[in-house]
Amino acid sequence: MSSGDSNPAATPTPCVDIQGDGRWMSLHNHFVSNSKDKEPDVLFVGDSLVQLLHQFEVWRELFSPLHALNFGVGGDETQHVLWRLSNGELAHISPKVVVLWVGTHNHGHTAEQICGGIMAIVQLIKDKLPKAYTLVLGVLPRGKMPNPLRERNAQVNKLVKDAVSSLPHASLLNVDPGFVHSDGSISHQDLYDFLHLTPQGYQAVCQPLHAHLKGLLEKQAEN
Amino acid sequence: MSGDEMNPAAVAQAVEDIQGDDRWMSQHTRFVQECKDAEPEVLFIGDSMVQLMQQYEIWRELFSPLHALNFGIGGDTTCNVLWRLQNGELDNIGPKVTVVWVGTNNHEHSAEQVAGGILAIAQLLTSRLPKTKVVVLGLLARGEWPNPLREKNVAVNSFLRSWLPRLGHTQFLDVGAGFVHSDETISTRDMFDFLHLTAAGYRAIAKPLIDLLLQILEETPEEKRASLV
Repeated sequence: MSSGDSNPAATPTPCVDIQGDGRWMSLHNHFVSNSKDKEPDVLFVGDSLVQLLHQFEVWRELFSPLHALNFGVGGDETQHVLWRLSNGELAHISPKVVVLWVGTHNHGHTAEQICGGIMAIVQLIKDKLPKAYTLVLGVLPRGKMPNPLRERNAQVNKLVKDAVSSLPHASLLNVDPGFVHSDGSISHQDLYDFLHLTPQGYQAVCQPLHAHLKGLLEKQAEN
Repeated sequence: MSGDEMNPAAVAQAVEDIQGDDRWMSQHTRFVQECKDAEPEVLFIGDSMVQLMQQYEIWRELFSPLHALNFGIGGDTTCNVLWRLQNGELDNIGPKVTVVWVGTNNHEHSAEQVAGGILAIAQLLTSRLPKTKVVVLGLLARGEWPNPLREKNVAVNSFLRSWLPRLGHTQFLDVGAGFVHSDETISTRDMFDFLHLTAAGYRAIAKPLIDLLLQILEETPEEKRASLV
């Protein structure tokens, strides 16, 4: 699937300030200027799942020690992340690994389009940071009971997994520890609003992610 | 005054499931179920400012010991909160204090309408729960720099300050002091996206809030005392 004007999910697009307080652009500007004096080994980029991770203890426990930066913005879709990374957020840093987690908010796009958006981001990172490895995290299931968005997200993961399989510089990691129970339900103890992770939910996701990241960083160090 | 049918911010309205996973209704249903099992002394109702509080340590430290329930839903407007309160989220419970924090998401409404919507919520609570004391939290500033939404939220608070005292059993609490610095900016240390509070941000607002809650709870005679941390 190629990016281009035919796929809105793969066309860099800034967020329009509908509400009136310019918060999206403020955050973007912060990320750009923040990156000027930091030397992260790991960059997390994506939507609210990434952003909220930064607020809980698990970030300090597991990811600060890896010298990680967090460029998550709530509500971001693939085309927003694509715009941010194209407009300065990668300009001053050379992380060894970029962790990309985005796609669940791409309402109105098909699974194929969302995959195209994610792959466009993977390509952009390769262009700007030729030595970096991109770890795409699988989009989590959502909603209390089975619903079309769960199917869409699962399809996105499948398509992305296929698309990165031939790439040496990227892979997809499934970080769902089994949030969906045998009756099809998701618990609010893991996803407090059936979309966003609780601190407990983040622990379940992040322990294996952390282990995987450490392995990747060690491999990068060897190269 | 407001709180009548002419004010769209005072019209109860459920959130439509546009995205396709019905999360709003699932959350509402869970809260209705909680009302059947729990006996809260304190009820928090509102939007993401309320909801997110429960995810931080501070909830377990300061508010759980007061037997508090959290009925916050991200994105909610005054209309959505009104609908939820009218459709089961007040059934079978008799909290001594209800904390209301909502209004910052009412983008379609003027400051006066938003304040009217909050007033309608307070009126509904005092009529449905005659023993409850209502605490309405002021809307916080938002955005990194001065902007129209900051002015609007200040105006909402201003209306609330003058209208709420006329309702019995209701008071207004401004927890926003200190968030806007002398250079007029808000820091990501307090609001990670210039809207939602960090753990540090919640600690700052928790102090005046917990003081007031303890004061109200102590005023209310009861055999069972909330344990203090």
